[in-house]
Amino acid sequence: MPPLLEVVGLSKRYRTQDGGWLEAVHEVSLSVAAGECLGLLGPNGAGKSSAIQCITGFYPPSGGAVRLAGIDVHADPKRARRTLGVCSQEDTLDSDFRVLDQLARHATYFGVPGREGERRARALLERFGIADKAAELVESLSGGMRRRLQVARALVSQPSVLVLDEPTTGLDPGMRRALWAILQEERGKGAAILLSTHYMEEAERLCDRVALLDRGHIRDLGAPRELIERHAGSAMVEEEVRPGFVWRRPPNLEDVYLKLTGARLDEAAAS
Amino acid sequence: MSSGGALWGVGRVWLRYFDVFRKSAPYYLVTTFTEPFLYLLAFGFGVGSLIGSLEANGAQVSYRSFVFSGILGQTVLFQGFYEASYGGFVRMYYQRIFQAIAVTPITLSEVLWGELAWDASKATLAAVIIAAIGVATGDFPLRAPLAIMPVAFAASLLFSGMGLAVAARARTIEQISYPQYLLVFPMFLFCGVFFPVESLPGWLQWVAWALPLTAVNSLMRTLTLGFPFQPWAIPILAAWLVALVLYSRRAMVGRLVK
Repeated sequence: MPPLLEVVGLSKRYRTQDGGWLEAVHEVSLSVAAGECLGLLGPNGAGKSSAIQCITGFYPPSGGAVRLAGIDVHADPKRARRTLGVCSQEDTLDSDFRVLDQLARHATYFGVPGREGERRARALLERFGIADKAAELVESLSGGMRRRLQVARALVSQPSVLVLDEPTTGLDPGMRRALWAILQEERGKGAAILLSTHYMEEAERLCDRVALLDRGHIRDLGAPRELIERHAGSAMVEEEVRPGFVWRRPPNLEDVYLKLTGARLDEAAAS
Repeated sequence: MSSGGALWGVGRVWLRYFDVFRKSAPYYLVTTFTEPFLYLLAFGFGVGSLIGSLEANGAQVSYRSFVFSGILGQTVLFQGFYEASYGGFVRMYYQRIFQAIAVTPITLSEVLWGELAWDASKATLAAVIIAAIGVATGDFPLRAPLAIMPVAFAASLLFSGMGLAVAARARTIEQISYPQYLLVFPMFLFCGVFFPVESLPGWLQWVAWALPLTAVNSLMRTLTLGFPFQPWAIPILAAWLVALVLYSRRAMVGRLVK
């Protein structure tokens, strides 16, 4: 069975303001099968968002191809994107509509009839714990609720491919875990999930495989355990977390991330 | 319904705007009609009572009717431009609605056509209602609201294209003020809304005719007041329409898509 999301040799170059070229994504290849969650990790400026914009068909690629359920998203975007649910990094909620209408309206863009869209919207609001906000304006929601609503919106078309760009940013630990449970359910139903995140714990828990992207290149791709063993070994890591207090812990994905991306304080500050 | 055709996508976007309009109808009605009404009252009835009638383009007409007809052009200019420039900027930059819809089966191209089609529809509706009021006051013939529709829609689309192009080029919402003061207001004042373009100095007449609102006003007066048809108004309108619609879409795609 072919993967639901297939990215082959994807490259994206931009014209910079000084007239030169910046290669944001360099020949990235990855695939996500039905029921699989693939994590996309990397520092800010690594090319994650550019790659995601190409994967959703919003940016044209400079090279390579993206197929959603076997359909080329750039050659036939209308058909390919019927299978796609997107939660972008930025808040793109339609503030002209109330919470329930927001989801029902989004469903119509996929050709879902009005009544069915409303039924799905109500079910999603229940599932995401914001049913009591159905009649409220988006502005009245907290940041965490808005984020949940945006993920809910990505599900209203019942997509087989989910592309989530930092979906849990700004959520408290309880909400984050609730969202993880929902993503696990979606995966259980056979959705292919591409998850971009800065939370290593999230990637380790949710993702079957992880791609580490840095300066447009995939540095490595594999199961979190595999990557940890390959790049961080199995010896306990000692960290002085505050003066005089040394913490001994097993190696984790963050050690792999720091090793492969060479993240420095100035890059962290830039984020 | 299938989510196949481009027209379906444009229609979905248009319906989104219509639903927002429908839900906030009182707000839109107040903001859409207050301004033209005030101009009508002040210039049509106020200044009109002082001036009486005037001769323009070889026709004799009451000043009130002259201004009434000019208000049709002003309405499509302001409605089209403001909805697409300020409204378009808010939807593109703050609400990110274009970006949200353009990752569904509706393409960015369809989103932008939907935006222009709605902006033009709303401005056309405003002009048709103003024309109906002109019928009620006895300034326009009964057929005027229907007769102006094609010109009103083309002109609304043109000014919506102008607005969307401005939204695409503006880095901040404040920058929209530049074309507003340097292009829209001069058109409003010098392109025949309040006085015949022929009363301007020769060189300024050329400038006025180079701008699209003069052509719009000329066609509106032919349709509502029976002024002689000035055939060059059609190519001027068509050239601006094609140029602005194509440029606005290109500029907005260039702004959003790297």
